[in-house]
Amino acid sequence: MEFEPKILGIACNWCTYTGADLAGTTRLEYPPNVRVVRVMCSSRINPSFIFRAFQLGADGVLVGGCHPGDCHYNTGNLYARRRLATAKKILEFAGIEPGRLRVEWISASEGNKFAEVVEEFTTQIKNLGPQIKLKIQEP
Amino acid sequence: MIRFKQIEERLKKEAKRLLESGAVAVVLAYEKGYDEKHPMPYAAKNVADVENIVFNEYCNYNMARYLVRYPQGTKIAIAVKAADSRAVIQLIQEEKVKREYLVLLGIPVQGMKNPKTGEVIDSKTTCGMHNPVLYDILLGDEVHGHKIVSPYDVLVQYEAMDKDARWEFWKKELDKCIRCYACRKACPMCYCDPCFIDQSKPKWADKAPQSSGNMMYHLTRFHHLAGRCIDCGECSRACPVNIPLYLFHKKVAKECEEMFNQRAGMSIEDKPVLIDFRVEDSDKILE
Repeated sequence: MEFEPKILGIACNWCTYTGADLAGTTRLEYPPNVRVVRVMCSSRINPSFIFRAFQLGADGVLVGGCHPGDCHYNTGNLYARRRLATAKKILEFAGIEPGRLRVEWISASEGNKFAEVVEEFTTQIKNLGPQIKLKIQEP
Repeated sequence: MIRFKQIEERLKKEAKRLLESGAVAVVLAYEKGYDEKHPMPYAAKNVADVENIVFNEYCNYNMARYLVRYPQGTKIAIAVKAADSRAVIQLIQEEKVKREYLVLLGIPVQGMKNPKTGEVIDSKTTCGMHNPVLYDILLGDEVHGHKIVSPYDVLVQYEAMDKDARWEFWKKELDKCIRCYACRKACPMCYCDPCFIDQSKPKWADKAPQSSGNMMYHLTRFHHLAGRCIDCGECSRACPVNIPLYLFHKKVAKECEEMFNQRAGMSIEDKPVLIDFRVEDSDKILE
């Protein structure tokens, strides 16, 4: 059986989540591997969410936020950018493929981009294979 | 050693003067432990206490750890070595302590030793600096004429490792962790109350000393100290099972320095990098 990755999507309410909504209402097709969680802003994302997602069995994490400068709260995604960049370096040095975490800026009108990113990211994770390093092994 | 004796004498003199004049309520320094190799952190509260102060090559505790335990506004004099002064600067940046309430007794150091191994502490496990960055009174002469070695040199062999080998390395090291939280207790920057690991709602990680919980605790702690760790190496010296935590902290510090062009604890005017941003930050850092 082909490996179907589990991907956690964390999307900001104002841009990426609305963008995903648009992808849906325009009937765009994209892989069903992403489970989207809505947060109010990308800066709401505590990097521990990401570490924890990997522990609980996610093969990849996709974070979506507004384009820098477009944040609903003016500066939220600029903080998030620094924070997530550091999280990525930490994953890398711990020996986990940094490609398993992806941060994309997708605006509310970019339904196409959302579908494309999900498509691309799913393929990328399929190539990387299952994430077994951080995943908690069932006793 | 004569140098250390001299510093001890001057430390006592300054502590006495400051306490007598009432300029400070407490002097944070070191006292004799059960033997010479194990001095202890000490808070001298009156003139009579000053006699207990010692300073020798094993006094490597970071006294900045104890600053946050006093209520804001307490006047404190503190003995700071190079990394300790950076910790104080970082605490000032984070508004945990105020500059005007502090008297920094700077100690230029050379040849401090790790009591566990007897090795001289240098840039392999710490920032490798000799002179305090910020001080009011310098006890002893500045140390100069040393070859400047980058504190990140030690990382080369780990960065060259294959990612799977690095994972195996860290898994092996972090699996040793017995979750005594000595690293957290020794760290001058770990002052959260409650610490995320002590929270039960949400429960961030398993509290049992097992692989998954250890990994979560340490990865999150590395992130919480990103751009704040001042590389004193106290976490690894405090660790009873000798996990080389300093390696990871060094790596994160290095990445932060490369991404944001700022080193932790070098100036009171700076802002910690993760509670700050630049509009011109590049998206490249996310790749």
